[in-house]
Amino acid sequence: MKQFVTRRLGYSLLSLLVLSLTIFFFVRVTGDPAALLVEPGASEDDIAAIHHKFGLDKPLWAQYGLFMMSLLRGDFGQSFYYQTPVLDLYFDRLPNSLLLALVAMAFSLAVGIPTGILAAVRVGRFWDSAGKLFALLGLSLPSFFVGLVLILLFSVYLGWLPSSGSGGVLHILMPAFALGWYFAAAHMRLTRSSMLEVLGSEYVKLARLKGLPQSWVIGKHAFKNALIPVVTLAGINLVLMINVAVVVETVFAWPGVGRLLYEGISFRDFPVVQGIVIMGGTMIVVVNLLVDVVYAVIDPRIRLEK
Amino acid sequence: MQRDVTSAPGRNGLIPTRRELLALAALGMAAGVRPAVAAASGQLTYAVHISLAPTWFDPAETPSLVTPYMIYYALHDAVLKPMPGELMAHSLAESWSATEDGMTYSFVLRDGVTFHNGEKVTAEDVKFSFERYHGAAKGPLHDRVASVETPDARHVTFRLKNPWPDFLTFYAATTGAGWVVPKKYVEKVGDDGFKKAPIGAGPYKFVSFTPGVELVLEAYEGYWRKVPSVKRLVLKVIPEEATRLAALKHGEVDIAYSIRGELAAELRQTPGLTLKPVVIQSPFWLYFPEQWDAKSPWHDVRVRQAARLALDLKTINQALTAGYSRIHGSLIPDNFEFFWKPPEPVYDPEKAKQLLATAGYPDGFDAGFYNCDSSYANLAEATNNYLGAVGINAKLRPLERVSFNQQFMDKKLKNIIQAGSGSFGNAATRFETFVVKGGAYVYGNYPDLDAMFEQQAVELDHGKRAAILTKMQEILYERVIGTHLWQLAFINGVGPRVGESNFDRIAGFPYTAPYEDLTLKST
Repeated sequence: MKQFVTRRLGYSLLSLLVLSLTIFFFVRVTGDPAALLVEPGASEDDIAAIHHKFGLDKPLWAQYGLFMMSLLRGDFGQSFYYQTPVLDLYFDRLPNSLLLALVAMAFSLAVGIPTGILAAVRVGRFWDSAGKLFALLGLSLPSFFVGLVLILLFSVYLGWLPSSGSGGVLHILMPAFALGWYFAAAHMRLTRSSMLEVLGSEYVKLARLKGLPQSWVIGKHAFKNALIPVVTLAGINLVLMINVAVVVETVFAWPGVGRLLYEGISFRDFPVVQGIVIMGGTMIVVVNLLVDVVYAVIDPRIRLEK
Repeated sequence: MQRDVTSAPGRNGLIPTRRELLALAALGMAAGVRPAVAAASGQLTYAVHISLAPTWFDPAETPSLVTPYMIYYALHDAVLKPMPGELMAHSLAESWSATEDGMTYSFVLRDGVTFHNGEKVTAEDVKFSFERYHGAAKGPLHDRVASVETPDARHVTFRLKNPWPDFLTFYAATTGAGWVVPKKYVEKVGDDGFKKAPIGAGPYKFVSFTPGVELVLEAYEGYWRKVPSVKRLVLKVIPEEATRLAALKHGEVDIAYSIRGELAAELRQTPGLTLKPVVIQSPFWLYFPEQWDAKSPWHDVRVRQAARLALDLKTINQALTAGYSRIHGSLIPDNFEFFWKPPEPVYDPEKAKQLLATAGYPDGFDAGFYNCDSSYANLAEATNNYLGAVGINAKLRPLERVSFNQQFMDKKLKNIIQAGSGSFGNAATRFETFVVKGGAYVYGNYPDLDAMFEQQAVELDHGKRAAILTKMQEILYERVIGTHLWQLAFINGVGPRVGESNFDRIAGFPYTAPYEDLTLKST
């Protein structure tokens, strides 16, 4: 077991190293941040001064070396734009992203699971078609479009909800819906297919043959087993919601990590983009590592695999 | 012997004459005694289009951008600064003078002006702020100043190494060097501490800042010019344009910056909301980088004239910025010192075709690429269509802004370039960057213009300098080195609670300064 954990840990660290290299060079391919920090028409001296200030006049390998050395000390650098440590910015925004992700997740599960069960139980009938339509729209409508339609309807025409920002319960409803719909659709589809699989299994047929009521068969026997892949997916989706709600957070001016990433990309703020991607990557790597370890604890065959 | 350099004539009304200066000095003295007005009250909320950066709280770091001045005008004050009707209004300085030889500039500070922490603004603070400045124009400014002397708390004297007619342009209008920060406080808290809790001498005090989210300011009731009418300003960052408009319609914000195109039309039709366009100091023009290549069609001035005549600028302006951008024919912003207004642009496609025919292109020609910053691809598309209609056939090549600027500067763009600039300065600084030899965006040069540029750079007589720069602009127009498209309008929305929004009061300035003049209808 110890060897397995060590090996997985090694893979995780390697993944993070590759991620750091990739994002470091990727952001630099996008262009020169200095050009976004000055008006068009600025002199070459202006631009050279910005390069020097941010260390962008050093060779690329030297920049990467400095970046990694800082990273190992837990220093993600200073934002070019905000002139503030990246970690401070990140942790200022993280609670907002967590809150939005949790509410959006609660919505997506509260809607996705019941509709998925209903669609599976009423397969081929009205509720199944309605569920499929719900999933189709949720998966295909861009979240910026959903966001703007919500703002138009609930803020401009009805005047019920604030259009943007954070601060109260009302502020979170529209962004949570816009973010959660896509995931609700994904959860609905997985619940439906998982339920259909379980409902067709031998033990469910036996339960029915025993004369158990339909609600008991679905609730007690089928649902619990069908839920396992949904919960696994929800866990991964939660990490994604925290880190990739870029569009929703931007449309609703929600002060989360996603909007910080958008700002970082918009202003070629390399340290911010690098920091957020590495933090997000670390979350995913840690979650995967924990899942692997838990699987290995449960199933000895996994840890014995070479 | 000292003389009042502002007495020179012919300054487009932007720089005061001697008589005006005396009047202004008198006004400045009078303004030192603050009128008794009611205390500030109410809150005004902005939807800001861009994330506010803490570097914008510190004038020492002023980049080559107009955006930080959105904050400076609230938090800080300057020795001289652009104000309504004046490019260099007396602010912390109640008067200034310069010696005949243009080597010494002296300022007298107002008595009793205080920073937000109650400390007096002194000559030492002015000197400290100048020396501390390390923004975009640090080189040209610091390299030319030999010393800054502070004989007493209210007098500051700048001694130059050589005569430099543009000293005040740079010190008072182009850079953050003249914006004054409290020396003792900055030394106590350090640069980073200052950005976290800035203290200035402006009409509004810093309350809180959440990066990327909002900035909260509160009226400084000890402000020398007047007590601000509005107690609290909240600048909320809302990056999405449609959301800004929704917030304005819903009454969550009172002023929304940057509402363009169809949304601007919608704003105009919404009862209770007011559209406030501001023509900023950002002209756009077509630049022909191959005019110096004898093999290129663009070498023939008739082809360039044809391009100018081919464009229906009024229709383009109407379609894209609801007619609010300004068409004046020049590559220089019309609010700049030494601006010369060319003849009114004319749309005459038939004459354009004739000119092309006489130049040897009766069937038009393949003009290669029309390069533009993709943010302004709508302007490029319209312009390119008009060029195509007379036979100048170019393929549109929109480039992402950074890439466009880089390629423009690296002289890698060919055929046609849609240029633009919002940088500060005057006519001379625009020539330096875009027209004469050595300029960052110059693909070729004309020796006579280069010589005239050198001549004006050391000319201390304002009238003679203006004459040279006027002549240079006439040549720029005659040779069609570039052809004007528009001077861009920055379109904003104002809600029903706002009394005086201040838009378009300071020439070319896109935001709502002076903040102390803002009013709410209910206050």
